[in-house]
Amino acid sequence: MARIIGGIGTSHVPTIGMAFDRKKRGDPDWTPLFEGYDAVASWLAERKPDVLVFFYNDHATSFFFDLYPTFAIGVSEEFAIADEGLGPRPIPRLKGHPRLARHLAESLVNAEFDLAVFQDLPLDHGCTSPLTMLWPHSPDWPGALVPIEINVVQYPLPTARRCYKLGQAVRRAVESYPEDLKVVVVGTGGLSHQMQGERAGFNNTEWDMRFLDLIEREPETLAAMRHVDFARLGGSEGVEVIMWLPMRGALSDGARKIHQSYYLPMTTAMAVALFEEPGAPSRAAAGAVKRAERAPA
Amino acid sequence: MNPQLEGIEALEGTYPFDLERSAKALRVNRFLRGLIVPDNRQLFRENPEAAFDKAGLTGEERQLVHARDWGALVRYGATFFALEKLARVSGVSNPEMVAQMRSETLEQFLKTRNVPGAR
Repeated sequence: MARIIGGIGTSHVPTIGMAFDRKKRGDPDWTPLFEGYDAVASWLAERKPDVLVFFYNDHATSFFFDLYPTFAIGVSEEFAIADEGLGPRPIPRLKGHPRLARHLAESLVNAEFDLAVFQDLPLDHGCTSPLTMLWPHSPDWPGALVPIEINVVQYPLPTARRCYKLGQAVRRAVESYPEDLKVVVVGTGGLSHQMQGERAGFNNTEWDMRFLDLIEREPETLAAMRHVDFARLGGSEGVEVIMWLPMRGALSDGARKIHQSYYLPMTTAMAVALFEEPGAPSRAAAGAVKRAERAPA
Repeated sequence: MNPQLEGIEALEGTYPFDLERSAKALRVNRFLRGLIVPDNRQLFRENPEAAFDKAGLTGEERQLVHARDWGALVRYGATFFALEKLARVSGVSNPEMVAQMRSETLEQFLKTRNVPGAR
């Protein structure tokens, strides 16, 4: 039986991938970002999941408004790296897991989550930006990825509660898959940022900290919030944190956050948080939430 | 009215990308998104008017794209994520886009940031 061993919440702003590609680890302006991901990368290297189920959004790259799905699952053997205007990033194509992906599609549709299904579409920075911080990719990625796309770009968006319920349905679907697979669920986006209008540049570290607390302890509180609440507190583009809710919904109530990092250098608050299921083998860092925070000026 | 957005108008300087904006700006968003295709980028660089013709842009849309007026494009209905592709093709960074939308110079905007060198 497949099982979910943990979850990761992470920002996906393109600058994370850019900092990686430009090898900025040694640059003091970027070091805190890299160090924030180190504990998560070590955990993944140690626990060796077979598959990451990745809740992300496409940025009008592979999907356009002639048909913009609310939810869509990628079932291909592999996924190309998207060209977003500067050519694709120099990283290997992502490996899919078609058997698990097909099972998830069948299970979710039968559980009344009517996802669209896509094949052979490139994945953009919504997936790839954090992925290079999490997994090594030379000579190839150590595992497979099942992308689940969520519309957080064109209103009406799915509600926060719907996203949370999607995660709960994904958990049931994973646990009904017969093959022994270790799965980690990943929610992406946020934290606070606004990239449009005169309010562009808005951030709210106080809200971001509260969000990082609520996603662990009180996801129901977040699920009950409206998009306008997220936009007011976290900026218009900060609404995309609703994609952390399917990650949390796919974990058990008892899952614990064992690491978090927060860095707000420029326009988007960059956060990563690691959650582990109870009963998982303990590790040295467990129980101590490490924080690498930089308060706003 | 989408109940999830009730009260959004209280957030000044915020333009939620909804179906009305999407319908109004479909052509311009399609043009912007099309810049992920290398042939379209080349045409746009070499002969912008031909690229605008191909996309069927109106005079107003051509003017907004030509001016790289990010704030006006957002108000018109362009989504930031399509605009980001034009910015990359134009060699404009996100902090530069945000500064312009706030009617600030890049230097003024960077002074409001925690780590001005992180770009």
